[in-house]
Amino acid sequence: MLEDIRSEVSRGPRGFAQFLLDYVPRYLAARPTSIALLNAVREFLSSYLRAVRSGRSTDEVVPGIIESILSARMAAKSAIAEIGARRLKDGESVLMHSYSRTAMGIVRKAAEELGLRLSVYVTESRPIGEGLKAAEELARIGEGVRVKVMVDSAVRYFMKDVDRVIVGADAVAANGAVVNKVGTSVVALAAKEARVNFYVAAETYKFSFETLTGELVPQVVLSDASLVAPPRRMARLTGRAVVRAPVFDVTPAEYIDAIITERGITAPQAIPLLIREIYGWPPRVPSIHRLLEEVRDLAGAE
Amino acid sequence: MQAPSDLPRDLPKEVLEIREDIRTMRIRGAGRIARAAAIALSKAAAAFVGNDADEFAKYMEETAAFLRGARPTAVSLPNAISFVMRRLREVGIATVEEGRKAVEEAAKEFVEYSERAVDEIGELGARRFRSGDVVMTHCHSSAAAAVLAAAHRAGKVDRVYVKETRPRLQGLIAARVLADAGLDVILIPDSAVRYFMKDVDRVIVGADAVAANGAVVNKVGTSVVALAAKEARVNFYVAAETYKFSFETLTGELVPQVVLSDASLVAPPRRMARLTGRAVVRAPVFDVTPAEYIDAIITERGVISPYAAPLILLEEYGVSAWD
Repeated sequence: MLEDIRSEVSRGPRGFAQFLLDYVPRYLAARPTSIALLNAVREFLSSYLRAVRSGRSTDEVVPGIIESILSARMAAKSAIAEIGARRLKDGESVLMHSYSRTAMGIVRKAAEELGLRLSVYVTESRPIGEGLKAAEELARIGEGVRVKVMVDSAVRYFMKDVDRVIVGADAVAANGAVVNKVGTSVVALAAKEARVNFYVAAETYKFSFETLTGELVPQVVLSDASLVAPPRRMARLTGRAVVRAPVFDVTPAEYIDAIITERGITAPQAIPLLIREIYGWPPRVPSIHRLLEEVRDLAGAE
Repeated sequence: MQAPSDLPRDLPKEVLEIREDIRTMRIRGAGRIARAAAIALSKAAAAFVGNDADEFAKYMEETAAFLRGARPTAVSLPNAISFVMRRLREVGIATVEEGRKAVEEAAKEFVEYSERAVDEIGELGARRFRSGDVVMTHCHSSAAAAVLAAAHRAGKVDRVYVKETRPRLQGLIAARVLADAGLDVILIPDSAVRYFMKDVDRVIVGADAVAANGAVVNKVGTSVVALAAKEARVNFYVAAETYKFSFETLTGELVPQVVLSDASLVAPPRRMARLTGRAVVRAPVFDVTPAEYIDAIITERGVISPYAAPLILLEEYGVSAWD
């Protein structure tokens, strides 16, 4: 999305501001659960407003701001890979759920650079099936990584063979709860029962500042029948059964042994401490709404 | 498979066919397997030629052993055979005719009993539900469906969450059966089990086998549902006919496990092609739910604690570890 914004600077200062007013609310409304995007937009708007107000021109500052946000994010991922890989030992079995580039970075680092031999269990992560994408990527790492794909229901069956679980996060809430692809909390529960370490790889920009002021992380529940079974098999149930497929679930902090961030490993409950280090306390982060009000001033209010 | 030397002589063709159908899974489902075995014993008894009662008893024991070997993983098979053979042993026969009568009557009784058992479980189980209860189920089980249908008829249960039950999607069969019974069915992916558990009052599932320690072997994922139910303090019930209780486990045997590795179970061939040779698929068919996660097992003989499983084995099949 930041790339989309970059190409619009040619509209000129007021045209660009006008574009943001139209584009940003629409884009975010279509992705209510993406905290990483929300925070990226917030960061962009803050830097952009600051730069323009200090007298610099839009086309001069926008590409640089976007570049710096994107490169900070890349750096965060690779710092997490570095830190997380230290938690793994040669010959261990790791379990992953859904697909997370950040979590994948840890396994890749451990296998490719530290030379660890790992056995990686991957849940298929229905209904979307992101586990297959994860399995494909893991399989390409080569000799050091043995991949075992399983149905989501087999998570407890195999948990006794697993040393650690690593998942990513869509959002981290103020109380240390982690919002991630549905089924994550089931894996966490089974890990807790089997005393298997459960790690979440999450950059600090996954923190949901809105939850500090009591907001809930938005939930999405799909009802498309084809998510569960091919239409041919669902035909006999049409009108007689409804499908409910939540996209995310919430894993409580008590099931999480550690969150691996680019600033280091922390207990999930201590996440606010980390946020205080970076943003002060209470964190000085403006709401998107307020930032857009300021953009409106730039665009010349109608 | 048993060696041919174990084959009793003069066994009628029908008995051989039944054994083969059980072995090759043409006959499937615990109830049907059990009934087929009882019928096979009855047919074997009818076909016995001779006048020596001791010979007859020996012939029946050999036939029983032969049938028992058809499918080692089907718990109901040895139980049905024990039910019939125990009668023959206890009655003390003087003539072949008496023996034949004992076997035929016991087999008939077992078949009728097994057909009634599911309905009786339905009636008993329905009493455990309260008005307005929301229920979750996993996989398809005739006994669990009977409980839900009865609870619905009693005006207690309207809404049921049915898990898809990958990889074979038996949840779709359950959804159809329960919708036919008039329930509102909500089909959910397996991974959403914990998400919806807070909306659920009770869980009911079937069983493939109940072990002597009260652990329940059932379709993979059952133990995940049980764990999520325990966490949410939701009651977890198992509906199981008494012939699913496994007496081999009383003497230390493990219930046999089956893990498939057919890649097509997990992904369409097109996607799996990219993984061939580099990733393996592991798809266990069953898992084991420990007794501590089970609030009650609903049998046709009554509602029991899972820890009371040995009682069922003793009472119904006269088997104990000390025999």
